[in-house]
Amino acid sequence: MSARRYTRTAAACGLLLMVAACGGSSGGSGSSTSPKASGVTNGGTLKLLGSGDVDHLDPASAYYTVSYTLERAFTRQLVSYPSSSEISVATSVAPDLAKELPTTANGGISADGKTYTFHLRSGVQWNTSPARAVTAADVVRGLQRICNPASPSGGLTYYEDTIAGFTKFCNGFAKVNASSPTAMADYMNSHAISGVQAPDASTVVITLTQPASDFLNIMALPFASAAPVEYLKYVPDSAAFRQHTLSDGPYAITTYQAGSKIVLDRNTAWKQSADPLRHQHVQSIDITQGQGSDQAVQQQLEAGTADLTWDLPVPTADLSALKKSKTSDFAIYPSASNNPYLVFNLRSPKNSGALGKLKVRQALEYAIDKTAIGAIYGGPSLNTPLDQVIPPGQGGYVPFDLYPTADHKGDPAKCKSMLAAAGYPNGLTLTDVARNSGNHPAVAQSVQADFAKCGVKTKIVSVSQGDYYGKYLNSPAATKAGTWDISEPGWVADWYGNNGRSFIAVLFDGRKYGPNTVDYGDYNSSTVNALIDKAESAKDASTAATYWHQADEQIMKDAAFIPFQTQKVPAYHSSRVKNALWSPFSQSYDITNLWLDPTN
Amino acid sequence: MAGPDQLTRVGDATSESQDVAFAGRSQLQLAWTRLRHDRVAVVSTVLILALVLVAIGAPLVAKLVGWGPDEQDRVHGLTPDGLPVGPSTLHWLGTDNLGRDVLVRAVYGARVSLVVGLGATALATLIGVVVGVVAGYASPGVDTLLSRLMDVVLSFPFLLFAIALVSVVGPSLKISIIVIAFFSWASIGRVVRGQTLTLREHEFVEAARSTGAKTLRIMTVEILPNLVSPILVLATLIIPTAIVFEATLSFLGLGVEPPTPTWGNMISDSLPYYNVAWWFVAAPGLALLLMTLAFNLLGDAVRDALDPSAARLTRVKVRS
Repeated sequence: MSARRYTRTAAACGLLLMVAACGGSSGGSGSSTSPKASGVTNGGTLKLLGSGDVDHLDPASAYYTVSYTLERAFTRQLVSYPSSSEISVATSVAPDLAKELPTTANGGISADGKTYTFHLRSGVQWNTSPARAVTAADVVRGLQRICNPASPSGGLTYYEDTIAGFTKFCNGFAKVNASSPTAMADYMNSHAISGVQAPDASTVVITLTQPASDFLNIMALPFASAAPVEYLKYVPDSAAFRQHTLSDGPYAITTYQAGSKIVLDRNTAWKQSADPLRHQHVQSIDITQGQGSDQAVQQQLEAGTADLTWDLPVPTADLSALKKSKTSDFAIYPSASNNPYLVFNLRSPKNSGALGKLKVRQALEYAIDKTAIGAIYGGPSLNTPLDQVIPPGQGGYVPFDLYPTADHKGDPAKCKSMLAAAGYPNGLTLTDVARNSGNHPAVAQSVQADFAKCGVKTKIVSVSQGDYYGKYLNSPAATKAGTWDISEPGWVADWYGNNGRSFIAVLFDGRKYGPNTVDYGDYNSSTVNALIDKAESAKDASTAATYWHQADEQIMKDAAFIPFQTQKVPAYHSSRVKNALWSPFSQSYDITNLWLDPTN
Repeated sequence: MAGPDQLTRVGDATSESQDVAFAGRSQLQLAWTRLRHDRVAVVSTVLILALVLVAIGAPLVAKLVGWGPDEQDRVHGLTPDGLPVGPSTLHWLGTDNLGRDVLVRAVYGARVSLVVGLGATALATLIGVVVGVVAGYASPGVDTLLSRLMDVVLSFPFLLFAIALVSVVGPSLKISIIVIAFFSWASIGRVVRGQTLTLREHEFVEAARSTGAKTLRIMTVEILPNLVSPILVLATLIIPTAIVFEATLSFLGLGVEPPTPTWGNMISDSLPYYNVAWWFVAAPGLALLLMTLAFNLLGDAVRDALDPSAARLTRVKVRS
């Protein structure tokens, strides 16, 4: 995963997940009826209100929840996810550009699990003039653009690790002049990804290096959106590109003003009959940015002057009142998160290398009051204590707790005695690097108070979001020098269910350690690495799950980190929004499935 | 309201000064007498002394209330949803977002405010006086150099510089004092330079020079004592500015490291809760308001006392 990955996660944790995020299933927005239900009203302008811009507008690199919200309306993938009030449905891959899901039964997946054949749906069109059909070549182009040298995707490794020839194609592409659209177009036209073929205009065949039970999840990420030939005219994600996006979805971007406004209008080339997942209920979608605080946005939503939040969370302070009000406009949704958690710098030379010692880390596992962390993020209705890597509902989840304490409130006495037994009767002095915004300072101070009870002194170093990764967590030199001992980052998986590749493999594969790693503390276990390899190449999800669980257990035995909790996301919409269906991927309501009640 | 009052007071002072012409009282003694009779000055001084006492006695307050400044009361100090709890017998001014006692933290916050406010002012005054006297008395070349330096410092964007510096060296109490002092000394320096330029032409300086006094001696013994009044006035007025600077830095997360409470970081922490926990923002906010107000009023009063005519002029200017 590239550095972009962290930027996005960071942003997600800073903004959207600042208050809460992720976990089991709950709540529902009252009117979770099917879009076909009576009383559907078309038309009106859906108003979204928020603070900042998308990270990227180019589907190849867009990697932020709000970008996903937008992409739902103007991009399409071979496979995607249906919007549903049932979390299991909403997180199961469904055909989009493809006519049907490839399976071994229908011949779409070869017997060895390494070849996937997709047949394209007819009637899907770009909003070019005249409208033009979306072809297999567009899908191939979309995959090629993932590693364009101008704005490569943060999810690049998912594709490099699975599709045959992807790495070779990308290594060559990286050497192309990133400021010349012609040079990039020439490379894409003259080079092919050996594992991606388009035998005819409506068939895409993808060959993998080894079986991957989560491959359809990877193909459902918006990075793999189809890309029209017109995109070759621009430097990917450049200002010029952002003014010339094309759409094969129900809405097209008609106004894009960086950092202030985005407007989408109905795409006349789009046909309902060719899209099983989206609708075209509202007339236009108006996104206004520049709002300073979550409270300002929440007040407008409650007043009905705006309909949905764009990137700001429901304010933590308002949650209590919203829950009590029992309004159907408020709901709580699950997410696949381990946020925040405590990462140990296993390389830190401080305290004579204490954090590299298993017994020390195991002692510290007992120190944390996980419910106090939950209180910072809005209390137990949104936050569930977690004692392992994999949160409930995700592939390989089997609940276990190797370091149990009563009610997850921590056991300072046990921590202290184990620390003494490990050779540190006088405790430790740790440097905790923490971001200076949002809930991060509070989390660091909560951890500090817990560790103090166990005889561990913590010095908090407050840094900006930018320095946090660049100067500390993602700097192997800083890590090795022990400029930080512990920290409290967070992680949200890129998809749900069979997502070990986006969870355990990202956080704990020590072979990938480097400046672009999420394995910040350089945990490296040959046992875990071998299990990751087995899980990633497993032919089916249940086999993969077995390995992911084993890896989970090994990681916790090694006390590689301290999981705190998994979060749920609180959400609110104006009362005129009907059929508000939650999209767990963008952590927002699906703007292509809701409609506006004119009487409200 | 202050008008007639003021006039009589100034009149009193004048008649007093006629008396003291015989008693031989110094200018500072005169000012002290005037200050003692200024009700605003007395009230603000009492307030400042009270705040200083509270800051010094913070551990006693903590003991009395029963909570340490960093002690997190997770049982009674937070609602089940993790919100701060309002004033009660357990927490007199309620709790913050981590269940810590707001009163105790506000009291401890006074310490940082005073240390930074007084520390930065002392440092700024020292630099300002040295640079100002040297610039005013030394050769024109040195004067030009130092004057331009003061111009540069005065035109520096304070917050941008502070943010950049703190992100490089990391936040701490020491850095806060240095940054604030760096941005405050130039205003003193300028005034001192101007006064020195006038004083150096006076006969007593000439006399000292002609008797062979060294430059350093002239600067410290002849000129400096005559600068005490403006320095005193400016320094008193820098204190509240420095306190607000410190609060600004802490508010932006660039001040003292957590969990040390400061009014700035308390206000910053309290913002997401302002509509559910008024006490959380009110305590540090009012404390900051009181302290800066008190220092400002005292500063005004000191200026009035030291130079009643200038005070009248300023008043007229403000009114017009």
